[in-house]
Amino acid sequence: MGQAVQVILIIFIAFFAYMHCYMGSTMHNRPIIVAPLVGLVLGDWQTGVVIGATLELVFMGAFPVGASNPPDFVSGTIISTAYVILSGSEVTAAVVLAVPIATLVLLFDNIQMTFVLTWASHLADKYAEAGDIKGVEWVQRIFGIGNKVVLALVVGLGYILGVPMIEKILSYVPEFVTYGLDVAAGVIPAIGFAMLARMMISKKTAAFLVLGFLLAAYLNISVTGIALFGLVVALIYVNFMGNKEVAADDDDF
Amino acid sequence: MTTISKDETKNLSTISPESRITKKDFQQCFWRSLTLDSSWNYERMQNIAYCYMMAPIIRRLYEDREERAAALKRHLEFMSVTPHICTLLVGISGAMEEENAKNPEFDENSINAVKSSLMGPMAGVGDSFFWGTLKLIAAGVGIALASQGNIMGPILFFLIINVPHFILRYLCLDKGFQYGTQFFKDISSGGIITKITEAATMLGLMVIGGMTAANVSFSLAINVGSGDWAESVQSYLDQIMPGLLPAVLFGIMYWLLGKKVKTTTILIAVMVLCIILSGIGVV
Repeated sequence: MGQAVQVILIIFIAFFAYMHCYMGSTMHNRPIIVAPLVGLVLGDWQTGVVIGATLELVFMGAFPVGASNPPDFVSGTIISTAYVILSGSEVTAAVVLAVPIATLVLLFDNIQMTFVLTWASHLADKYAEAGDIKGVEWVQRIFGIGNKVVLALVVGLGYILGVPMIEKILSYVPEFVTYGLDVAAGVIPAIGFAMLARMMISKKTAAFLVLGFLLAAYLNISVTGIALFGLVVALIYVNFMGNKEVAADDDDF
Repeated sequence: MTTISKDETKNLSTISPESRITKKDFQQCFWRSLTLDSSWNYERMQNIAYCYMMAPIIRRLYEDREERAAALKRHLEFMSVTPHICTLLVGISGAMEEENAKNPEFDENSINAVKSSLMGPMAGVGDSFFWGTLKLIAAGVGIALASQGNIMGPILFFLIINVPHFILRYLCLDKGFQYGTQFFKDISSGGIITKITEAATMLGLMVIGGMTAANVSFSLAINVGSGDWAESVQSYLDQIMPGLLPAVLFGIMYWLLGKKVKTTTILIAVMVLCIILSGIGVV
């Protein structure tokens, strides 16, 4: 496949991934889906799937809630996956690359969201003032899609310039550093899990976190299994505790 | 009130006999709701997209330029809610706009008052359900398969999230229009929302625990004793409890986050520490 076609396909994948929030926030921008797509374009989807699993763990805690925006894992995933597949390096190399790239691109995206899209919002105000419904609609269409085009082009540029450069830099890195980063790849998911736990936990429910951990640590039950056990626990809770719960609430008042 | 609707919508079927909003408007709202997060900005977050969703309804209900301007400005105000269930708010604001259009007594400020009072709790429930529980289960199942190179990993990940997502998105819009503001009040006063949220939280937390044990790895490479008596520290730790170090690491991260340490700082610290530990041969 020609080099140019490859670049165009990479940009297209980036655009498709960024468009997830124009298509229902379906989360198809997550590494677990984007990395296999990059793999497909570069002729090794299977490695892509494995990298996707690894990066999904690394970016576990990266989700947008309220006013906080996570690192731009789309760019991180695409460029690092491409690098790993093209250079034939270890999958964990993707982790090392994805994190700094994602952080860098978030800076750029933040500029867009602070200046360009805020300006768009003021533009929409102007059309609204005039009662121009079409005007407001076009602001949403143009800026909503436009900022994805810009981001996709940034990824394309990163892919063209970045991959050969990364290769050169990484060839000078000593082995203990690479191994240290391998170890870090095993630790980083803990940050994401801790973030999620912080978001959800309460005194009442904390024991379930421990229960899940122990089931996996001692009994080696797979995550699917734990989710099913969790479902049963949740159903039991809803069915049996339901009436008591409401009654208890009433007593409080 | 129904006299107005009859001549105006004679060719279009409406969503209910009392409503002027047509099925086509309803569908347009649904498709447009998909774009909620696309023009996110730091000033008013999802405001442009929210107004875009409301546009078909505003166009249907108001003929007058002044009224249209007022409605557009109303919906360009601050908006922040979980994108997957934003349709409930659209339905509710739609129902209220309709009331506003036919009832001159109606206080139009109440539309945004209801919107802003509902978006907080809705985002609370929605964020922890979609980003917490659902995404987490999907990732758990997906990662387990994908790490073995199985293509079903990404496929299941997508389906586990999006089948419930689209069903909920549609139901929310439908119920929002049907019951207006009554809907959210009813379910939250009955304690159902709290109960479902708690149940989803339990499920989510169990999966977080399980995934921590399955996916966080850290082991020591040092030995105690020497020669034939050398024994690895890790095997001692494993005897105390499998996954002890990952559990401790999770605890440290949890504590650091509670101290408001930035995740990027933690991330960089982890990388640097691991390189140092690798350099001195501890891991």
